[in-house]
Amino acid sequence: MEASVATLATIRVEINGTAYEREVEARRLLVHFIRDDLDLTGTHVGCDTGNCGACSVILDGTLVKSCMLLAVQADGASIETVEGLAQDEELTGLQQAFSDHHALQCGYCTPGMLMSATALLRENPRPTDEEIRRAIQGNICRCTGYWNIFEAIKAAAEA
Amino acid sequence: MPAMLLREVGYARPATVDQAIELLAGHDGARALAGGQTLINVMKARAASPDVLVDLGGIPQLRGIELDPDGTLRIGPMTTYTDLISSAEARARPILGEVCAQIADVQVRNRGTIGGNVCSSDPTNHLPPLMVAVGGEMTIAGRDGERTVPAKDFFLGVYMTAVGPGELLTRISIPPGRHDGFASIPIGKDGTCIVNAAASANGGLRVALGCVGAVPEVVEPASPEPEAVAEAVRGANLDPPSDVHASGDYRRHLAEVVAARAVRQASERASG
Amino acid sequence: MTETTVTPTKPLVVEEQETKPGWAGQNVPRKEDKRLVQGQGLFFDDVKRHNMGYVHFVRSPYAHAKIRSVDVSKALEHPGVYGTLTGDEVATLTDPFFQISSPPGAFLKDYCMAVGKVRFVGEPVAAVVASTREIARDASELVEVDYEPLDPLVDARRALDDDAPVLHDEAGTNLTWEGVYEWGDLDKAFAEADRVVKISELHFDRFNSTPLECDGALVEYNRGTGQWTLITNNQFPGFAVIMMGPAMRVGLDKLRFVTQDIGGGFGNKITSHPQLVACCLLARKLNRPVQWTEWRTDFHLSMSHGNERWFLDTEVAVSEDGTLLGFRTTALDDAGAWLRYEPLGGVIWAQVTPGMYRWRHIRLDFKQVVTNKAPVSPNRGYSRMQHLWFTERLIDIVAHELGLDPVEVRKRNYIRTEDMPYETPNGCIYDSGDYAKMLDAALELVGYDSLAERRADAERRGNLLGLGIGSTLDSGTNNFGQSRLINPELQFSGNNEVATVKLDIFGEIVVTLGTTPQGQGHETTASQVVADILGCSVDDVNVRAGHDSYWNSYAGFSGTYASQFAVTGLGAVKGATELLAGEMKKLAAVILGATPDDIELADGQARLRANPEAALPFMALGAIINANNAGLPEDLDVTLNCRYVYRPPFQVPDVERKYGNLTLTYAAQVHVAVVEVDPETGVYEIVDYAAVDDCGKRINPQIVEGQVMGATAQALGAATHETFTYDEDGNLLTPNFYDYHVPHALDMPPLKTGYIESPSPFTSLGTKGMGEGGGAGIHAVCAALQDALRTHGNAIVYDSCNPYHRVWALLSDPDSARARVSVEST
Repeated sequence: MEASVATLATIRVEINGTAYEREVEARRLLVHFIRDDLDLTGTHVGCDTGNCGACSVILDGTLVKSCMLLAVQADGASIETVEGLAQDEELTGLQQAFSDHHALQCGYCTPGMLMSATALLRENPRPTDEEIRRAIQGNICRCTGYWNIFEAIKAAAEA
Repeated sequence: MPAMLLREVGYARPATVDQAIELLAGHDGARALAGGQTLINVMKARAASPDVLVDLGGIPQLRGIELDPDGTLRIGPMTTYTDLISSAEARARPILGEVCAQIADVQVRNRGTIGGNVCSSDPTNHLPPLMVAVGGEMTIAGRDGERTVPAKDFFLGVYMTAVGPGELLTRISIPPGRHDGFASIPIGKDGTCIVNAAASANGGLRVALGCVGAVPEVVEPASPEPEAVAEAVRGANLDPPSDVHASGDYRRHLAEVVAARAVRQASERASG
Repeated sequence: MTETTVTPTKPLVVEEQETKPGWAGQNVPRKEDKRLVQGQGLFFDDVKRHNMGYVHFVRSPYAHAKIRSVDVSKALEHPGVYGTLTGDEVATLTDPFFQISSPPGAFLKDYCMAVGKVRFVGEPVAAVVASTREIARDASELVEVDYEPLDPLVDARRALDDDAPVLHDEAGTNLTWEGVYEWGDLDKAFAEADRVVKISELHFDRFNSTPLECDGALVEYNRGTGQWTLITNNQFPGFAVIMMGPAMRVGLDKLRFVTQDIGGGFGNKITSHPQLVACCLLARKLNRPVQWTEWRTDFHLSMSHGNERWFLDTEVAVSEDGTLLGFRTTALDDAGAWLRYEPLGGVIWAQVTPGMYRWRHIRLDFKQVVTNKAPVSPNRGYSRMQHLWFTERLIDIVAHELGLDPVEVRKRNYIRTEDMPYETPNGCIYDSGDYAKMLDAALELVGYDSLAERRADAERRGNLLGLGIGSTLDSGTNNFGQSRLINPELQFSGNNEVATVKLDIFGEIVVTLGTTPQGQGHETTASQVVADILGCSVDDVNVRAGHDSYWNSYAGFSGTYASQFAVTGLGAVKGATELLAGEMKKLAAVILGATPDDIELADGQARLRANPEAALPFMALGAIINANNAGLPEDLDVTLNCRYVYRPPFQVPDVERKYGNLTLTYAAQVHVAVVEVDPETGVYEIVDYAAVDDCGKRINPQIVEGQVMGATAQALGAATHETFTYDEDGNLLTPNFYDYHVPHALDMPPLKTGYIESPSPFTSLGTKGMGEGGGAGIHAVCAALQDALRTHGNAIVYDSCNPYHRVWALLSDPDSARARVSVEST
């Protein structure tokens, strides 16, 4: 049986533990679905060539750039965004470390950085310095120069 | 003017290779969607706008890495860079994981695929010269069946490969070997390559140069000595493109350097 | 190259002002962080309105062309399209933007979209509004524009050729502004010089800070009141409204600016007013909220490039012992297609005319030209950065050519700490600083003593090692009177910033700022100043996030730009809080039966100094004034709602002599970079780096350090790969983050920082504005490359941006570079 071609589809996605069912155009990027259709605006857009990582989310346990996926590709997936990190306004150790080490200034790259760092520490709770830098290589920051972000992730790992 | 928003497109997610081929053959403007790390960008810029995207992500046949008893690696084209880097089987040919680890960043490596990289045939990609150097073989399936194309004949031009309309790359086979090298000059760490070169010293010496032409350029130096390698590269009479990062002349010079470095790495592994 | 760790060592603090107990000087955790780390920041694109339409701009594919016609009819037929806007409409509905320039720049007719002609690739020509972003984008392709291409002008050095295309017929020339500055006695200086070093051409490249969030706005129009509300990220609303109001033929109060969180500005979000006008017109025309999101490519093509500047035919008068007497040069500034904040760049450099050096005889002929490229606008370090790179190049090239030690030449020529406050040749007053000490600190941090050893080690690995110094100033708090040196008709001078501090009915302290922070931690540092004055905790101080015109807590120059918050913003906060403190004491005195001098504010209370038991909590004071005020003395002048306008002590400069104080404070930066170059390829790495900063009293040292780091990172990007390069047809070759390479985490060198606090005698807190000090890094890398190439061709570095291909050119053809420099003995 041939798979069908559709320009419009109903997708089911779980984000931060909440289930959503929406109709989307096939061409809609996942990041716009998350931000515009579901009002989860913590995930940001910083470029149009998939280079900046501000849109990073964790999809089925894997760190991805949500601007490089179509929403329809996320049908059936379980996604984590920055809004799902803190529980009841209680910041995670990683989020607190970001604040303690002044690892954010304007805060625009921060959600993506936090997702990248979260993905790293889950897989590798004791990363080397090099592994930390590689983990955020796909996240551009223009405010901090990355040094404090590195410090924050290292501190969170060592805590 | 390029921006962020795609044209209307049809989307299908077949469950088998045959279904995928039917979709690709049945729609003129159909394109296979692998990891999307290139195609989605292309569509954002509206540089190309397929009518139908055939998402290969739901076809288990296209994944997986097998190591045959004779040492041949059979790699599913939907293998991501991350999959390959962490694959025990792929360590049979270590250069594969080493090169994949240099590509972009974690997010790209988690979604980008080996098949997508070779099928996009972007002259600055890492894998086309690597496939040519190691002597990879590409299995292509279509309505009429399967055929195998050696890597050196697979890349036909910029963004053009031997995979025709209605066809699908279904397997990449890599012969056994451990004496390989790769060298590149990227823009910043792990950035886009200005030049790259892959070398194989597994019986004979073969170097494939990337970024210097529409497709990888093969040279076979008489010996692994740097001067012999440079001479072989000069003998190829390269006419590399000029762009904002490098002039044709600069690329031509860099090609000699990275070729020599790739060869040095390959021959060190051969002797060490 | 060897792998080195990037863990910064603890900052070396060379000299800290005596720390008084209190909040100022502490690393108070940032109030902004809690929302930002949870993704709960409010950036303009996060806001939605019912029925809103999304804007997509149709942009010119040509660098230079006449517009024969614009046909939107097919776009209007596309389902989901709400409406359009074209240049013809704009020319009817609005007047051209006010031009800062004197003639001929004054004659430019700048509208919010192209009218009659396009002058850069990416210039907006029409706008389409639709129900979704995608539909607006689709429909924009249906707009038919008939262009008649013209020859483009892409090289500023050709702008005045006889056959150069003229961009603006109204001006009749591409030389839109020129100013000749001369102070001292050039003839005498050059007559007395032992050597004259001539440099034919130096080039400060075109780039900007590419904030991660691009421009944008959600604009609503209230038909009943004629009021627009712009939820946006423009960082200088004071400037935007004076541009927009007259153009739109409306009073400024009709333009309400609301910003909360802004994803980086760096000056690049000052000139979004044209697109904002288009959005305002559309919101009114279509009777619905209109949302514009600028994508990365749009931003690179059209917004806020930093000034590109050529320094031509430079001559430096030098004594035998390396004393620099003076210089003369022509500064050719490439402003792009329109003058939006220009030609202020033509005078702002003069805040730092001599750089950090004591030469007194200076002539600079500033010529600003328009070209078919994106319009420039302030970029972190605006116009001083270009000029300071230039003065550093002079010091460095002179030292290089005369065989002198660049450290010694700097120390010989630096303005000395005992000369502070120092009056420059054009009447600017450098407030305080010890540059030589900073240089020593930076060299120590980077391990200068082991340089020879490191060079040898690099050579063993086949690489060339170089060390370079960049010393710059971050002049802060502008005197806008300098605009009169550009155009004597202008009626701007001085500066201001506003803060309002009130005590609410339940004793809550609420602070309202006039600024538009983009990550500088204004909420936090403001609370530190308030808490110190009111004797409470920073946690008791609520600072409203962002900016809103309706708070009526702003003035003509309000915004966040030009390294001034610690002076103007915090000066306003201090002033407002002192007013409030005075009122609180007055009120407490009445209630406690004492005089205001008997009252102290401490621990969240107003109490009798002599008897602390007699205390009123803040809540009591707030409640009395707001809800329980019967029986208070009639003449009691207390509202507990205090608005203060900080005004720096400026005079209008002398327009004739181009003389006078142009900025209030002068923070200083000395950076040292160590690079390793692969001579086989021209590829290089920055392997070590030190940044020493002096911005006077630091209210929050961690925030200051964050700015130093960020500025350093941007400097490294600008020095290595970041460039807006155009081809000969005027196409931008680096229109996105794929081709325009900014530093990523793996690109960063190890960083050591050091701090000195030389308080400013001119500010209420001893602070100096800071944050723009990245230019030092650009020069440090240039100088390090030049040092590294000494043994391989001895090329001179003449461009601020040196990607691998340029280093390769310097290695393979050093003579071409060297040909730019000559030394004459006189």
